[in-house]
Amino acid sequence: MDNEMTLSFVAISENESLARMAITSFVAQLDPTIDELSEFKTIVSEAVSNAIIHGYDEDGKGIVTVHAVRDGDLVSVAVKDNGKGIFDVKKAMEPLFTSKAELERSGMGFTIMESFADNLQVESEPNVGTVVTFSKKFYSVKMPQIS
Amino acid sequence: MNYEINMHLNEIAVIRLFGELDHHETEKIRAHISKTILQGNLTTIIWNLERLNFMDSSGIGLILGRMRELSTVNGQTFILNPSNTMKKIFQFSGLASYMMEGTEADAILHARGIVNG
Repeated sequence: MDNEMTLSFVAISENESLARMAITSFVAQLDPTIDELSEFKTIVSEAVSNAIIHGYDEDGKGIVTVHAVRDGDLVSVAVKDNGKGIFDVKKAMEPLFTSKAELERSGMGFTIMESFADNLQVESEPNVGTVVTFSKKFYSVKMPQIS
Repeated sequence: MNYEINMHLNEIAVIRLFGELDHHETEKIRAHISKTILQGNLTTIIWNLERLNFMDSSGIGLILGRMRELSTVNGQTFILNPSNTMKKIFQFSGLASYMMEGTEADAILHARGIVNG
């Protein structure tokens, strides 16, 4: 393990950008390409937004925790909340499914996360909380070795 | 996050988005964008994402929501200059066919062609 971080914040929507900023700095050592970095930020943004909006209904009290570990080129992230949980994870992960259409949530969050992450797991228990874990390997642009 | 709306002939709205578009920012700007574009006889929205540095699925919700508002007048939507990551997000969401290569002027001409045709 090369590096590790934990970031916790209350469930208000302005912390979505805080989480993206922290995770961007965390992977900076890997010299990610623009596309790798923006896909990685998108996954984090979706997971954190879900925790804030769906886990806690933006109550400003619940705590969202982002835990990240870097091991060589591989970064693993867990986004955790102790909110209301997802009653049917399979249904929640279907493209276009949303429980908050009135907020113009597109229902594409999990589809985007699954597409951009190397692997993604969602564990949830009603009234206990949700943990979204994923990892992504960074291929980056390596400087040629001069021998 | 910031944005500009320019109306052309009271029919075409060109919306330029700047900075990062997430759930938080979308909630702040959605009502105002909606109110502004629904004045006039709007038939077309052109989203220029050239200076948008980041967008997650909230952007899909924002664009789809305005498409719904335009659907009563069979309105048109064009999306210009998405980043590679945004292109993928639009593809996953079934919005790939609304992306257009070209400038705002190209999109306006294209829209007027459809409007007048």
